[in-house]
Amino acid sequence: MKIYIYKGFERFWHWTQVLLIITLALTGFEIHSSYSLFGFQTAVQIHGISAWAYLVLIVFSVFWHFTSGEWRQYKPTIKLLIEQIEYYITGIFKGAEHPTRKLVYNKFNPLQRLTYLGLNILVIPVMGITGFAYMFLNYPNTAFELKGLDIVGLIHTIGAFSVVTFIIAHVYLTTTGHKPLSAIMAMLTGWEEVGKDDARAMLVNEMEVALKITKTRLKTDENKSELLDDALIETEKIMGMKKEEKFQNVIAKSGAGYFRINKMGYYGAVNDAWVRLYKYDSPEEIIGKHYSLSRTKEDFAELEKSFNRVLEGETIPHGEVRRICKDGSCGFHTVTMTPVVMNGQVVGVEGFILDTTVRRLAEKELLENKILMEELLKKKGK
Amino acid sequence: MEIKSFKKIDFFMKKSVSTLLFFFVFQWIAFSQQADSSVPHSTKLSIENYIFKADRKISSPVDHNKFTILQQDFKRPQDVTLACLSCHNERHSELMVNNHFTWDRKEKILNHGTISVGKKNILNNFCIGVESNEAMCSKCHAGYGWVDTTFNFQAKENIDCLVCHDKTGTYVKGAGGMPTPQTDLNLVAQNVGHSSSENCGACHFKGGGGNNVKHGDMEKAMLNADRNLDVHMAKEGEDMNCTECHVTVDHNITGKLYALSSENNDRVTCEQCHTEAPHKNKILNKHTDRVACQTCHIPTYAKANPTKTFWDWSTAGKLDENGKLIEIKDSLGDVIYFSKKGSFHWGRNLKPEYRWFNGLAGHHLVTDNIDTIPVQLNTLDGSYGDKGANTRSLAPSKIWPVKIMRGKQPYDTEYNTLLQPKVVGKKGSGAFWADFDWSKSLEKGSEYIHQPFSGKFGFVETEMYWPLNHQVAPADQALRCTDCHARGDESRLSELDGFYLPGRDQYNWLDYLGIIMLVSTFVGVLIHGGLRIFFRKNISH
Repeated sequence: MKIYIYKGFERFWHWTQVLLIITLALTGFEIHSSYSLFGFQTAVQIHGISAWAYLVLIVFSVFWHFTSGEWRQYKPTIKLLIEQIEYYITGIFKGAEHPTRKLVYNKFNPLQRLTYLGLNILVIPVMGITGFAYMFLNYPNTAFELKGLDIVGLIHTIGAFSVVTFIIAHVYLTTTGHKPLSAIMAMLTGWEEVGKDDARAMLVNEMEVALKITKTRLKTDENKSELLDDALIETEKIMGMKKEEKFQNVIAKSGAGYFRINKMGYYGAVNDAWVRLYKYDSPEEIIGKHYSLSRTKEDFAELEKSFNRVLEGETIPHGEVRRICKDGSCGFHTVTMTPVVMNGQVVGVEGFILDTTVRRLAEKELLENKILMEELLKKKGK
Repeated sequence: MEIKSFKKIDFFMKKSVSTLLFFFVFQWIAFSQQADSSVPHSTKLSIENYIFKADRKISSPVDHNKFTILQQDFKRPQDVTLACLSCHNERHSELMVNNHFTWDRKEKILNHGTISVGKKNILNNFCIGVESNEAMCSKCHAGYGWVDTTFNFQAKENIDCLVCHDKTGTYVKGAGGMPTPQTDLNLVAQNVGHSSSENCGACHFKGGGGNNVKHGDMEKAMLNADRNLDVHMAKEGEDMNCTECHVTVDHNITGKLYALSSENNDRVTCEQCHTEAPHKNKILNKHTDRVACQTCHIPTYAKANPTKTFWDWSTAGKLDENGKLIEIKDSLGDVIYFSKKGSFHWGRNLKPEYRWFNGLAGHHLVTDNIDTIPVQLNTLDGSYGDKGANTRSLAPSKIWPVKIMRGKQPYDTEYNTLLQPKVVGKKGSGAFWADFDWSKSLEKGSEYIHQPFSGKFGFVETEMYWPLNHQVAPADQALRCTDCHARGDESRLSELDGFYLPGRDQYNWLDYLGIIMLVSTFVGVLIHGGLRIFFRKNISH
């Protein structure tokens, strides 16, 4: 299964870096008199031009990392670090699973995070600084002048050896993906071949993150959703589309219901969607009541279990559950429950419910049709 | 439908922006390289303060043939001078303070302060010194009659105009600087003009007793030079005269060499015409901050005729069984032994040696005590760390190409000073070239300069530095990067220490460590990969 994991700029950034680093290393070691390849003068010129090109690339990539939030990928962590090292030392030979999964929002394992962070904030900046010091901080730059190039040369050479060592290990480790070439193909096309489990985990993770973002948006302030409305109307106008309903209404009718229950199990707040899904007339009707009314007796036991776990601090994404509405009828929805935290204390449970009744009905219809069809086919066969 | 096309546009935009970005970087690389790698000698040089050969106007407003005063029967050469001065009636005042006449210059010498020294009293390791030998040395003096201390530097008639202004090529000076008896003074006096390279070369090519002996980069072959020998003086090229660079106003001839002078002024520089940034390549122009033009553009010297590199006076004085002078030549015809002078080494197409130099020089005076061996007859001041702030040069030291003349010459073993021998004179005068007796020669010489002589002497090694300036090679023969930026002896600067030179210097321990790191990573990766393949087979079975 293929998963889109590296964006266009990211790939451009990566391969341009490959080109520049190889060029810099080849010319750099020639300037170091390790061998002769291009000729010293050409090597010096190429080295200088590549250095400037790299600087431009760095400016672009820093901008990209911060605007896209991708910089978070490099946040160092020691969680699963040991496991990752152990995997490379022993697990990989036994055919063990990778201890970490590659996810869109967490595509590096802890070792990668540390290594790339080291490259990005230590090795490459140091190479850049010493490199440009090499070029500019000598006579007649009297304002800030190096006494000589010895220290700069020393550091720059150490950096060069480190980078080349990195390249050897890095290129080798690309072969440890799902298939030997899947990591390299991913960096070329953006799409990485992964196992089914990985793909599923990645999807779940993506949904989690998307939900988190939506939640924060809706929770933080109402003005924002109003702005969204305006924007939507404007876009509709531009595109020549006509839509009467406001976004807020769309949300309200979309089936995304919000609820908050206090520690004792009484409803503190529900939104209009929730009220509509449970077929109540207004939120006031439900606020202050115990949440046990939302389930049949059998189903409530499971909900209570989850409720208590959330009070312990867990976030629980539920699969499909059955609700009991005001009029006693049933409906289906998925629910996510997260703890409400105030001053470090869990004071309740909140969450979203997404209606699945319509889908349920459609599925039912489909099933019925299928049965009908099969019966028809049977008859025909006879 | 509309949404679809919108998406298409969006996709198209994204692609084109990233493609543009991609090409931007590479186009930039391509263009900037193009601009940098342009070949210097195929493009026109940027020259200032110089009149090209094609634009030079050579005309003389005066025909000296027609002056009756020059028709007279000159009894003495001094009468010619007086005749010259009868029209050029203030020129003598310029000449009488000119070091071509005084052989003396008041300058600040490192470690000596400001004193008056010059050719007349500074020692070298060729013919050693002028004093007590004036009769011979003054063959190259722009004056008449200097044979001893009685010479009158204040008499304007003692100036020799002709040696510099003769256009006939027949003017030859002999003992005491007097023209040889066969010289036709009328002919010479009626054919005078601007000094040419021939005039300058009559003396400056022959320093040290023969063609190219002293400088190594100044010799008669330059009068008929091709481009390879000297781009400036090449006959088929610009055919430049000495004075094209050694600009002269009121007889003040710019340029002087550190064999005698000490201060960084009145110099002739490449930059005066070629500017501070003569290269198209920025990196080369940056080199000029710390590297003299001469370093790269005079890759070799003594290109046409050999120059002396070593002169050992200690072996001088051997005569054959008949008491005659001995002269030994090597296979190339160079004299390697001569009874009067001792033993020599010669060199052709020599690579210069290189030194940091800031334009200030010191000199070992005859009165100085010997404190280093080899004795440094002159010292070129400078170092990598000297960036001009603490020296009077006010400019940083640059790497200069230098001819280093080495030799052995007499010194007083008791008083520990160099000695001035008397070499020129009649038999019985104590002159070494007549009597071949060092004791007497040194005694007479010391007596002449009023310097104590213990009577005990030996020969001490000496060194003398001659910065190179002439015989500039065509650009395509200039030094390449790797002539200096190379490891070990491959670098021409291998002996110049105290600074980190990329390509020449590296930390051996770091290189070893780095290579060990690279190799071990590579081997580690191979082993790891091999094990993976091995175990995968095992697992699948």
